[in-house]
Amino acid sequence: MKNSQRNVSSRPKASGSDFEAEKENTQELGREVPVGSADYLAPETLNKALEYRSRYGYKAVVIAGGTDVMVDYFEGLTEVSSWLDLTKIAALKEMKFGPEEIRLGSMVTHLKLATDPRVGENLPLLAEAASEMGSWQIQSRGTLGGNIVTSSPAGDTLAPLLAYQARFVLGSVSGQREVAAEDFFTGPKENVMNQDELLLEVMIPVSRERTLSRWKKVGKRKAVIISSLTMALLLELDEKDVITGARAAYGAVAPTPLRAEEVENYLAGKSLSEVSAERAGELAAREISPITDIRGTVAYRRQVTRDITVEALLDMQQG
Amino acid sequence: MKITFTINNEERSLEVSSHQRLLDIIRKDLGLTAAKEGCGKGECGACTVLFNGEPVASCLVLAPQADGAEILTVEGLLSREGELHPLQQAFLDAGAVQCGFCIPGSIMTGYRLLQDNPEPEREEVCQALAGNICRCTGYQKIVDAIQLAARRMQAGGDSS
Amino acid sequence: MSTKYVGEKVTKVDACKKVTGEAKYTEDLVNDFSDLLHIRVLRTPHPHAYLREINLEPAREVAGVVEVFTAADFPELKEFGLIIKDQPVLVGIDQKMRYLGDALALVVAETDAAALQGRDRIELEIEELEVVDNPLRSMEQGCIQIHEDHEIEVTHYLDPEMCCDNILSDNYLDKGDVEKGFAEADLIVEREYQTQFVEQLPLQVEKGIADYDEESGEIIIWAASQWLHDTQADIAQAMGISKDKIRIKQPVIGGAFGKKEDISVHIHLALAARELKRPVQLIYNREESMIAQSKRHPQIIRHKTGVSSEGKLTAWQTKMIMDTGAYASSGPAVVRNAMFHCTGPYQVPNVRAACYAVYTNNTYCGAMRGFGATQMAFAYDSQMDVIARELEIDPADFRMRNAYQPGSTTPGGEKLELGVNVRETIARARRLSGWQEGDNNA
Repeated sequence: MKNSQRNVSSRPKASGSDFEAEKENTQELGREVPVGSADYLAPETLNKALEYRSRYGYKAVVIAGGTDVMVDYFEGLTEVSSWLDLTKIAALKEMKFGPEEIRLGSMVTHLKLATDPRVGENLPLLAEAASEMGSWQIQSRGTLGGNIVTSSPAGDTLAPLLAYQARFVLGSVSGQREVAAEDFFTGPKENVMNQDELLLEVMIPVSRERTLSRWKKVGKRKAVIISSLTMALLLELDEKDVITGARAAYGAVAPTPLRAEEVENYLAGKSLSEVSAERAGELAAREISPITDIRGTVAYRRQVTRDITVEALLDMQQG
Repeated sequence: MKITFTINNEERSLEVSSHQRLLDIIRKDLGLTAAKEGCGKGECGACTVLFNGEPVASCLVLAPQADGAEILTVEGLLSREGELHPLQQAFLDAGAVQCGFCIPGSIMTGYRLLQDNPEPEREEVCQALAGNICRCTGYQKIVDAIQLAARRMQAGGDSS
Repeated sequence: MSTKYVGEKVTKVDACKKVTGEAKYTEDLVNDFSDLLHIRVLRTPHPHAYLREINLEPAREVAGVVEVFTAADFPELKEFGLIIKDQPVLVGIDQKMRYLGDALALVVAETDAAALQGRDRIELEIEELEVVDNPLRSMEQGCIQIHEDHEIEVTHYLDPEMCCDNILSDNYLDKGDVEKGFAEADLIVEREYQTQFVEQLPLQVEKGIADYDEESGEIIIWAASQWLHDTQADIAQAMGISKDKIRIKQPVIGGAFGKKEDISVHIHLALAARELKRPVQLIYNREESMIAQSKRHPQIIRHKTGVSSEGKLTAWQTKMIMDTGAYASSGPAVVRNAMFHCTGPYQVPNVRAACYAVYTNNTYCGAMRGFGATQMAFAYDSQMDVIARELEIDPADFRMRNAYQPGSTTPGGEKLELGVNVRETIARARRLSGWQEGDNNA
């Protein structure tokens, strides 16, 4: 009986000549091809990662926790000619809690967000959203940056990030730029990033006011479910319980996560106890532009958006 | 490319390709077949292993990402003398095993839960097991088993 | 009588190996073979079409592809099926594909990646037909016939206008005098209920390995099956060989719930192993399992129920249409089982039912926990709630008034004597759920 022939190597090769050169070099030196060879780049520094990014762009598929991208390439991993793995870059896993702002590295996992008491205390919407994402298995691997860059309208951290007025720091070899969360998403799974950029960190300003916030995820199951819709509602209150700032952010109700400005305008300046929760709920239901898909119909999403908004405000009023 | 990692307290070096998954190398290259593939998409939890101390769906980890990792599978829970871990014994005693396909994954999640939370409430066990589907729907007894193990480990002072 | 086990808790004999991970499921055996070939099945691109041409050359050119098999390679093949042999092993040229799971070609390769690549390069030419995705359409006069090449016997005595071309099985029952029962009723309630496809979703999908023993001419198959001997016999008749040439070694099964009653990987594996004289494996992925293998039958159930003002059921008439999909599988048995459960655990003196299993181009349906009774349960208990609301009787009370007791007779005329626990069940459910009498809103 003849031996098995291995034909796996017939997978598509990267067309960029740099890849070939790099592979040859390592072979010429006679070393084991280390992690970080041409079809699997795993830089340990940010600079190296940005350099790869500028050299290869979309030809190298960026992988962080892999919880989305591995599903996308299920049974088709051979079609990926090269990976750019960010998991070895320690700098992207840091969290800094300053007096003015909080900085979260893009490679911080959902598990970290869900369990680190500093996140729970300062960013409860984000901590709650992360704790309800997927399952323990998914939270251990999935990252904040991955959720942002994937840019699914149903991404669970996105409404909280909008409510916190987060800014995203994008880096490339030629420098860095900041984009407000609101301006980042341009459509379902689309955003403003260029192919030589990486998401480095998320900056969230520390609010000086007393804040109240409510997170709600609605899905067909309690866990391991893509959201039918999400809501992150945040109110800033002065000492007399007058709403000085309101942010109402919703996910999976439009092509991108969105802030309901009419709701925010309605709430701002009113005393919390005088607010009509019903009115706010109706404004929210009107302002979203949902679609009918397997996770819910337009009518369902409007109704539930209204209901959870009302529920959250009533709950806040009862304190 | 060659990667090195620790699995069940043993250091291993393996030649892997960038289109293998961690689950593939554990099951095929290392022959540790306890972890199972139920969906290949991180939904069912049958492939759960501990990866640097946390449960992960090994079908969603790219094999090269295991370089430098510490991995624990059900095969690594037996004592040196080959005795069952209290959690494994509790799964037997509570009648938690039916078709068995989800069991290696459920045990690993339960094992990790008890490290942090030696006396979990029922609700906490359910939360922890959210990513481990049992289609025989033997959830009640799986939760019973984890709580039984917790009580026994507390009583016996065994914190492993 | 031994008291060693009865009433005692016993540990499953195979549980220990399942908690240590030593238990060997089919996929755990692949490491035992050093020269295993991999099969991928090309399934249909359209749920109802004639296959006119198939070009295998692009698949054969893929490095690592060893062989590509189609129906043309096995002219002796017969169709298979649990009750009615109506399902082709491979759809041949000028034959019909009837749902998205029909197999058109088997690509065998040295690696799974090569088999996949080969499968996706096969070129097809098909002639599309009307897709019948609704059993009501199937029963219309003039609807395209899905199995024009199979003679299906239908009794067909209630409705002479009905078109029987796509009816797999029709079933009738009469108990007492239903017309008299409706005449006695103070209230008649008519409602229609619909249920949907349900996937059994065993955690382990269909997988198998086969090897060929050249000396004995035996084909050895490692794969899960809920009906070991039926599977063996069906493989043998489909391949036209003697049963003793098929040996099935059943590894540990990762759940089935009815889904593994039907043949899945078995015949494809047997053919490839015998032709190539090498061990082969065929492992479905989850999508393939969902597309190609059975489901719970969706049913359209019309109940007409007569009840007295005291809340006693006097007559019950049921018409049920069940979508059996493209192939019969367990359909003829499921439809009967559903029919005999049409009144659930409630005593009705006069019952009439007509139930049909109808072919469509949907994924075929087969066995799943409850075997037809589950769908009926949704319908009859919904009907009971509707009636209780109309009569303004507490629904638990209403059920209690009509529940079976020893001596009751079922719609099929069976007299129940032992183990009739419905009343105890209702009482206990009422207690455990905290159901308050007279609370009709919950």
